[in-house]
Amino acid sequence: MDKLLRNKKAIAFFMLPAFILFTLVLFIPIVQSVYYSFCDYKGITAPVFIGLDNYKNLLSDKTFGIALKNSFFFLIFSCVSQLIIGLFYAALLTNIQKGRNAFKNIIYLPCVLSSAALGLLWMFIFSPKLGISQLLEKWGVENPPLWLMDTKGTIILPMWVIAFVSLWQYVGQSMMLYMAQISGISKSLFEASYIDGCTKAMTFRHITLPLIRPMVATAMSLNAIGSLKFFDLIFNMTEGGPNHKTEVLATHLYQQGFKYFKYGYASAIGVVLLILCLLVTLFINKLVKTEQYEM
Amino acid sequence: MTTSQTSAAEPITASSKKKKKTESFEAVPKKPLTPIQKLIYAFLVVISVTYIAPLLWVFNVSFKTNKEIFTSPFALPENITFENYSFAWTAGRLGIATLNSFLVCVITLILSMVIGSMAAFGIARMRWKGAKLALTYFLTGMMIPVHCVLIPLFTRFAKIGLSNSIAGLILPYLTFALPITIFIMTGFFESMPNELIECACMEGANIFQIFYIICLPLGRTGLFVTGLMTFIGNWNELLLAMVFISDDAKKTLPVSLSKFVGPYNTNYSQMFAAIIIAIIPTIIVYCAFSNQIVDGLTSGAVKG
Amino acid sequence: MKKRRLLATILSAAMLATSLVGCGGTSGGESGGGSTGGSSGGSEASGGGSEGVQEISWMFWDDLNATEDLISLGYKDTIERFNKDYEGKYHVTPITTNLEEYYNKLNALVAAGETPDVFIVSPGPQLTDYVAPGYAAPLDEYLNKDGWKDTFTSDAVFTQQTYDGKIYAVPLNTAAACCFYNKEMFEAAGASVPTNWDEMIAACDKLQAAGYTPVTISAGTAWCLSMVAGYLCEAEGVDLAKLADGSASWEDGKLESACNKLLKFSEYFQRTAAGDTNDVATANFYNGEAAMLIQGSWAIGQINGQSPDFEEKCGVFQFPGVDRIIAKSDSLCMSSTTKCPEGSAAFIKYFTDDTAQKYTAEKGGKIPVTKVQYDASAAPKQLGDVMNIFSNAKGTFGFYNESLPTTEAGAHFDDTMVAVFLKDMTPADAAKDMEEYYKANCRK
Repeated sequence: MDKLLRNKKAIAFFMLPAFILFTLVLFIPIVQSVYYSFCDYKGITAPVFIGLDNYKNLLSDKTFGIALKNSFFFLIFSCVSQLIIGLFYAALLTNIQKGRNAFKNIIYLPCVLSSAALGLLWMFIFSPKLGISQLLEKWGVENPPLWLMDTKGTIILPMWVIAFVSLWQYVGQSMMLYMAQISGISKSLFEASYIDGCTKAMTFRHITLPLIRPMVATAMSLNAIGSLKFFDLIFNMTEGGPNHKTEVLATHLYQQGFKYFKYGYASAIGVVLLILCLLVTLFINKLVKTEQYEM
Repeated sequence: MTTSQTSAAEPITASSKKKKKTESFEAVPKKPLTPIQKLIYAFLVVISVTYIAPLLWVFNVSFKTNKEIFTSPFALPENITFENYSFAWTAGRLGIATLNSFLVCVITLILSMVIGSMAAFGIARMRWKGAKLALTYFLTGMMIPVHCVLIPLFTRFAKIGLSNSIAGLILPYLTFALPITIFIMTGFFESMPNELIECACMEGANIFQIFYIICLPLGRTGLFVTGLMTFIGNWNELLLAMVFISDDAKKTLPVSLSKFVGPYNTNYSQMFAAIIIAIIPTIIVYCAFSNQIVDGLTSGAVKG
Repeated sequence: MKKRRLLATILSAAMLATSLVGCGGTSGGESGGGSTGGSSGGSEASGGGSEGVQEISWMFWDDLNATEDLISLGYKDTIERFNKDYEGKYHVTPITTNLEEYYNKLNALVAAGETPDVFIVSPGPQLTDYVAPGYAAPLDEYLNKDGWKDTFTSDAVFTQQTYDGKIYAVPLNTAAACCFYNKEMFEAAGASVPTNWDEMIAACDKLQAAGYTPVTISAGTAWCLSMVAGYLCEAEGVDLAKLADGSASWEDGKLESACNKLLKFSEYFQRTAAGDTNDVATANFYNGEAAMLIQGSWAIGQINGQSPDFEEKCGVFQFPGVDRIIAKSDSLCMSSTTKCPEGSAAFIKYFTDDTAQKYTAEKGGKIPVTKVQYDASAAPKQLGDVMNIFSNAKGTFGFYNESLPTTEAGAHFDDTMVAVFLKDMTPADAAKDMEEYYKANCRK
């Protein structure tokens, strides 16, 4: 038996396809990407090494600044809002019996739909002549907001609209994660707390919340990585407009790489994105560890 | 969490003093709804409306003419025509795009299951020193956003003739599906009792039989979860498909839809029809298997 | 120990495989930098056709089978005519994409050493991108043969396609940017067709007073707004050539006052101008929601196609206060690595023959580049007006986003103008920003 499980040929057979694929399609390109980020590489000419110039240019690129700011906005907004709303929905659903499944499934539905299609859908709903504007007009609101076209303020209205749509789309996932965790908590714990005279709110605060903290970290890391990779919704709702004000790192990378063919420069944006993703993952992993010790 | 009647009673009496008005109606004989539960139901209904209303609105206007959208935006369409749909289907090439999406997703699904569970078996069951290292190697892939490899992959694929081909799309889809597949399947294979394999060994099965006949069927829950995640993820993927495929006949659904609707057009009703065409297959499948899908995806996410 | 060796074997095998592909990648890139890989030249992929038929690939930015664009349909006819006339000798296969992805895909093919034999390019920095590294072939040899060059209206049509005295692309048609206006609205408001900037503002005031939206424009599609800014810069006497070589500065006050005019003008735009895309803005015009549209003459086809009744109501005038007009032409390049230069040249020639050029004017609504006689009554009504404006103008200049030194500089100008319009930037800041951008990126 041991011999069977140590069969080198079999191991090679099992591991090689995945290994080769992974190395060729993921790791070599990452290394190349890092190399390109130090190059002047414009698509039709060969890459020329220019050191840190691309990164220096990033610092003076206003759109990159906006994209970075917007990416951070989405990161923070989605972590916070998904936590609060997701937990709230989960708390509501765990308190009802009948129809729980139906509500759960309705709220989860957008998670499985294409965010490209939903982005277009919401783009029309928020367009100045359709959807919400028509509804407001019907109710006699004069000069309704321009939603996706507004440009005033530090975090402009379109950003809030897109953030709302992403919350709408993905909150079901956070909700399900919390529900899974809550239903895993032993019933006797709750009963004990009620016998001790705790109100529901107190029970939630002192029993449910601490026990689902590891899941908070998991859900948050999913949200955080997801919001950094954010592309489809923005691309289809505003295409980064008006005037690049809703650009995020992913859309800026796409623009620079595939509109202006600045492969080197776009690679530098990609490297920044990669570093951010790694940092966020590490940070949250650390958080998970400490919290598990607390339990 | 389910609240038993006795335990729920305490907190509810406290708050029901404040809100007594909704008590009279809705007397369900078995478990009378407490006011808080009524409030919860009311709230959930409002939430559900925000989820369903946008979809219903688009569905409704997709049958209207462009003029009707502006003259009577919220009424039902005057007469149901499928012209918008046939236009979106043909001019938007959504038919061929659906087929392409299906092809890409199914091939990726099968390959990722085969290759992923093979590697997972190798890591979880075979005895070699590099197993842990190999797992770490694959898991780092989970942290890497696809954007970072976009440019090198694109330039290389262009050089070896893989750009603008379905195969060129399947390769990265497959690769990015592997980490989660391997991770989840490794867990499943590790949890299988040793005795099973020992037994099979005694019976004279070779290692491939053990993998294929014993372990793989036992891990089908895992395969279902990973397969679901892979399929849905790739079905909805936009960026890679947009960059890699430029031939209209090879585009996948999200790309064709984005290109057809885009922010450039003013034939709204046809655009809405296109959106409906793009999301209706998913909705139908979801309606049929919603519980399995939700639970599967959630358990996948928990593990990831 | 054995296991370790196995791992090493796997690793080295994988490394070998990767390094092979890796090498392929790098060497391909290098050869792309020099002259394109000759062995894998353009017509190779389709060269399988036997019996001496030479394949010519033609790359274009619209889907010829799905398009409703009249100009694209004309090109389709031209290809069919060519394939029929040269049956057994040459055969043209179109490679099509949509407009947004066009350069993306073309560059990918160029980098892969598979440059299409003939491809369409906008004159300006985009053309330079292909001429400078030697991907496009000079065409003088063919143009001078059989009096081809003499069929063109004048040698001036080649100005934008000429580099160091050699012509690298053949223009197919010209479109001019004009002001389209709704005659009924102008009449109802008592406004008259303006001939200078003050009259333009006065007309806008009258239209606004009469309850109309005077101007519909797209700032969501940045070049639309930037086109108006280009006209305003022209009126102020901005000299792009001097700006490019550093003998003039953006901060000399001309751009600033052009921006101030733009800001004044923006008071008459529709409310949703900031986000409306080109199509939406044009739709506002032919749906009668605004009185004026400033757009290239290619919009004629779109306007008349979407709203046939509108042709009667639609008037055209030259952008007031400028002598020259903005013009743009589609141009065809020939790959320097084509296996079939004769056939490719013959093919390009088909786009400028009388049949094609007549179609351009009568059906497509664009200005022909040759001296062809066409039936003016068959052409869209607005084309006559555009032709008059075109012939009365003292000259033409390109779209600003296609006339600046690089594609990106053009995009930067577009963005800056939109920023001024959105009041994110004062006109003075805009001038400073452009000057800094030029110093950093455009002047050497």
